[in-house]
Amino acid sequence: MPVVKVLTDGIGEVDLRSIDVYRSRGGYVQWERAVRDLTPAAVLEYADKSGLRGRGGAGFPTGKKWSFLPGNDKPRYLVCNCDEAEPGTFKDHMLLEFTPHLVLEGILLGAYGIGSHHAFIYIRGEFKEGYRIFTQALEAARAAGFVGKNIFGSGYDLEVTVHRGAGAYICGEETALLNSLEGKRGEPRLKPPFPAVAGLYGMPTVVNNVETLAYLVPILKNGWEWFAAVGTERSKGYKVVSISGHVQRPGNYEVPVGTPVRELIEIAGGLRPGRTFKAVQPGGGSSACIFDEHLDLPYDYESMAKAGSMMGSGAFVVFDDTTDFVKAAYNLVRFFAHESCGQCTPCREGGHWLEAVLERFVHGRGLRSDLDMLKRVSSTITGLNLCALGDSIEPFLKSVINRFPEQFEGKLIKETVTA
Amino acid sequence: MADNAAELVSLTIDGVPLKVPKGTLLVEAAKQIKQEIPVYCYHTKLGPAGLCRVCLVEIEGTPKLQIACNTPVADGMVVRTQNAKVDAGRAMILELLLVNHPLDCPVCDKGGECDLQDYAMAYARGTSDLADPKTSKPKGVDLGPTIVLDEERCVVCQRCVRFDDIIVGDPQLVLKDRGVRDMIATASGDPYRHNFTGNVTELCPVGALTSKTYRFKSRPWDLDRTQTTCTQCSVGCQMFSDVRFGVPLRTMSVEHDDAISDGWLCDRGRYNIGFYDAKERITQPLYKRGDTFMQISWDDAFALWARAITDAIHLSGPQSVGTIGGGRLTNEEAYVAQYLFRALGVNNLDWRAGRQRQATPGSRGGTLADLERANAIVVLGDSPADRAPVLDLRIRKAVKRANATLVRVAPLDVSPVPSIDVVDVAQAAAALPATASSIAVVWDGIDAAAVERLLDALPENVTVRTYITSEQGNARGAETMGMHPRFAPGFAAAENGLDTEAMLAAASDGALAVLSIFGANPALRHPNGPLVRAALAKTPFVVVSELFMTESAKLATLVLPAKGAFEKNGTTLNATGDALPVNASLQAPEGVLSDLEMLVGLAEQLGVNLPAQEAVHAAVIEAIAQAPAFDLGDHAFRTRAAQAATIPADGLRVAVHSNVFAGDGTSAHDERIVALRPLAEALLSTDDAKVYGVSSGDRIDLEAGGLTLHNLSVAVRAGIARGTLVLVDGLATAPANSFAPGAVVRVVHVRKGDSTLVEA
Ligand SMILES: Cc1cc2nc3c(=O)[nH]c(=O)nc-3n(C[C@H](O)[C@H](O)[C@H](O)COP(=O)(O)O)c2cc1C
Ligand code: SF4
Ligand code: SF4
Ligand code: SF4
Ligand code: FES
Repeated sequence: MPVVKVLTDGIGEVDLRSIDVYRSRGGYVQWERAVRDLTPAAVLEYADKSGLRGRGGAGFPTGKKWSFLPGNDKPRYLVCNCDEAEPGTFKDHMLLEFTPHLVLEGILLGAYGIGSHHAFIYIRGEFKEGYRIFTQALEAARAAGFVGKNIFGSGYDLEVTVHRGAGAYICGEETALLNSLEGKRGEPRLKPPFPAVAGLYGMPTVVNNVETLAYLVPILKNGWEWFAAVGTERSKGYKVVSISGHVQRPGNYEVPVGTPVRELIEIAGGLRPGRTFKAVQPGGGSSACIFDEHLDLPYDYESMAKAGSMMGSGAFVVFDDTTDFVKAAYNLVRFFAHESCGQCTPCREGGHWLEAVLERFVHGRGLRSDLDMLKRVSSTITGLNLCALGDSIEPFLKSVINRFPEQFEGKLIKETVTA
Repeated sequence: MADNAAELVSLTIDGVPLKVPKGTLLVEAAKQIKQEIPVYCYHTKLGPAGLCRVCLVEIEGTPKLQIACNTPVADGMVVRTQNAKVDAGRAMILELLLVNHPLDCPVCDKGGECDLQDYAMAYARGTSDLADPKTSKPKGVDLGPTIVLDEERCVVCQRCVRFDDIIVGDPQLVLKDRGVRDMIATASGDPYRHNFTGNVTELCPVGALTSKTYRFKSRPWDLDRTQTTCTQCSVGCQMFSDVRFGVPLRTMSVEHDDAISDGWLCDRGRYNIGFYDAKERITQPLYKRGDTFMQISWDDAFALWARAITDAIHLSGPQSVGTIGGGRLTNEEAYVAQYLFRALGVNNLDWRAGRQRQATPGSRGGTLADLERANAIVVLGDSPADRAPVLDLRIRKAVKRANATLVRVAPLDVSPVPSIDVVDVAQAAAALPATASSIAVVWDGIDAAAVERLLDALPENVTVRTYITSEQGNARGAETMGMHPRFAPGFAAAENGLDTEAMLAAASDGALAVLSIFGANPALRHPNGPLVRAALAKTPFVVVSELFMTESAKLATLVLPAKGAFEKNGTTLNATGDALPVNASLQAPEGVLSDLEMLVGLAEQLGVNLPAQEAVHAAVIEAIAQAPAFDLGDHAFRTRAAQAATIPADGLRVAVHSNVFAGDGTSAHDERIVALRPLAEALLSTDDAKVYGVSSGDRIDLEAGGLTLHNLSVAVRAGIARGTLVLVDGLATAPANSFAPGAVVRVVHVRKGDSTLVEA
């Protein structure tokens, strides 16, 4: 079994919330090395050459993202995105609560790598416990002199601010997150300008996912070659996959990128006895389902894209033959319609309309004309929105309507026949 | 920037090749070939937002349709604004917008000029697969004193939200909640209120935001439209007056009036049009016998007036006759007024009836575009936000968009944009950034000594542009036309007469026999109310031309019913020296004459030949063409009795603050804007509030030199200097000029919020 322990090392075995325990296992050694011995450019080189790609969903190469920062003398900010609300994703939550110092060390390395003196972490509102635990970890690190002024006597200052969201999925989208962090309505911004040019308070900003930043620590420790040696051609390293749905042992599993889909299902205990596989949604609520014919594909960015889906944030939801896909589609569309910030016409009105129609289907009151409408509206609203949320409504719906049309037809109003 | 502007990019739109400056957005580029791309959220003045997605176009080489509002042109770009794919995309957007849009057209004020109606006709499919009920949301929401909101009609373009943020700098409106439940509201939940709210009704592409004053009143095609100049203040915004059946139903901005209004109107200019048919309007000359006015004919009025003047000149010489006013007249009227009186040998002429001394910025006057481009702006005196609201929007634009430094000397209000607030002129000069190469000085025309000190303190080798915000719309025109004791038209030297101060002093000594006041209200607006009242009481024959029985009219011997600006033709000269047309859109009530018609009637009786209309016109143009040689604070404008203000030891000194809705004329007799009128408030510093044991909401009585002012509501404000009590100018219920200037005022009674009375 290819389960590995990199970020998850020690979780469930020792109390990594304790700074002493974390340090006894080599914690903050990379931070001290970076500040004492490495230039920011050298840290960026690690990020770049390791092939690390964003674990927040879009999979953008991390080193490349950092290099977009303009070379001006404006203050620049690193923002750690811990708003984790993608349906099916629960890895950042775990990292935050069980290995908060690793998360913090990753943030510190990221901030140093982009030459920032102020980092922020935006924590989803519902993560009350995680917020408490991380804040304690931060205080302990500050007391130890790892955060604040003149770190390790190097003259380098770095402040970290913790911000709690109020529980809106859209605030995970990086520009909505920045608005929210500034105290404004959490709605995505029109791009350009991109955050690298004008982000938080109009300053150059990098937004990175918790997991992305956390991987910086082992990459610095083991070298970029170590990370780049694992995975497939363009998808490198390891990934924490949140496996859920119709498996026997749902949970977070850290695996090499490129582990076959079939194997992931097995890692999580496989299907329940007597059930057959129907589909898996491999990249969170925003992704399309893949089916039997895709079971042997490696789980990486490219293969999932080729199969018409995505790896996204690594939320892997398995569906067996007990699944009511109409209900599942309704549930997801309702989620997106509910979480839409409502700025864009297609996302706001389209999401709502699709939800209303699917709700009727769930109650067996679908109309034959609705079948066309569902396809037409969901596909035309895609690609026309300001942010990716609006484009997340179609993939699952479309994939299951096409694959399981009989489930939808079965929900049409029964024509009553009078004798 | 300049380089970019010069750099041209070639592209093709709908097969037509064109070249436009680099950086131009497709939506603007398409206008060059007269191809309109539909937009909801985009607005030239607000920029792109990328929300509505109706502006879809096809760009060759890009598979998905793109939004034209946020796509800059690129060399070799091939764009289609019309083809099957684009049409289908737009049709989809419209179908989506209509999913939850109510079928309100028959009862919606926007009907006939609604972008949703228009685009639905032009681009929508005409049918829909919609089989579910529409969402319901609040309708007829009372957003504030001016605006009603229908949440169901909102297409969430956020133009209103962005207007408050980008243009006004006072982001009151926000989008609340999310998804299909989102709604426009004020962030605080308080009424939507600032000086520019009405603009959102024009920006709103649908009937979501409508003016209370225009609700259910008309269809656009039933309105007669006239373009004219707003004369409510000295900015001179261009506006449309929309009239139906002789009633002014609304005013609208002129979108392309970039030079002056920048496409906006303030709420005073927009909404204060309901007084024309007010029942309190004077429609017949009134002559005072004893304590009561009686209605007389115009013939009698002219005869009485002419006889009073002839007798006075005969008995005591022309120096016993005086004329005040002009700032509310047209240039032509002001010119004829001074012509007529000077022809009689009368040199006691002054347009100044209030606090202001000077209206013409002189040799260094600038345009509004210059103001917008200044690196630094110094505001000295009363707030332009209330004296010249739309000019203030230029200041905000300079600060917000071009990072100009705003320095305000002893301001009495809070700036919506970042400002450096200083206590005196010396500090103002010190606060200017050393790099500023162009400085704009915006002055209220009141304290000549202070502005002179400011100009002296400004660095050399910088471009200085000067602006004066006036108390009356055509103050500069009146001054230019020679309604001034030292200037003939075009600032030519005139035989010296008495200025307003001296006329009032002479009058209270019994030395004036006739005082004619045109469109002015010194009894309420002149800083020395007691002196005005004494002077008018002592003068045997006081004539006031007015629309309403103002404080001054009540003290007159003869009150002449005058036309308002929508009822007459002429020109006006705004704060920046632009000669602007005033075009009549209304018929005046029977019996009401314009000031010009009154002057003509008087001249006939006096046997003075007035120049013909064309000659007046030419003289006006010539006077405006003269370049004045003076600067701000010039001695020619100073009063002979200037008083220095000191900080009182045992009381409070009154400072006066303009409010755009104050006055006891047109704004006091317009039931549509009652809710916008300022309260009779006394603003106090936090320190003084402690000294007097008062808090906001308490009521106080004031006393000085035996004069009293009762029942002012206290408002405690940070930023007000200790020892200063701020009163709103121009409220008949609580005249700010109740006491002699410089009087030390005492708080005599305090009524706490719970009505207990405390003797101070
Ligand atoms: C609707 C929406 C929700 C998102 N939520 C999250 C989230 O909860 N956490 C996250 O890291 N990224 C989220 N993203 C992706 C972020 O916008 C951004 O790409 C990411 O934080 C960048 O970090 P990375 O490069 O390290 O992946 C979301 C994007 C969208 C469109
Ligand atoms: S796509 Fe949806 S969530 Fe994203 S900005 Fe538009 S309306 Fe908001
Ligand atoms: S109220 Fe009008 S202007 Fe404001 S967002 Fe809605 S449609 Fe746009
Ligand atoms: S700013 Fe002045 S001129 Fe413009 S609309 Fe307002 S009152 Fe009229
Ligand atoms: S006008 Fe382009 S998106 Fe609204």
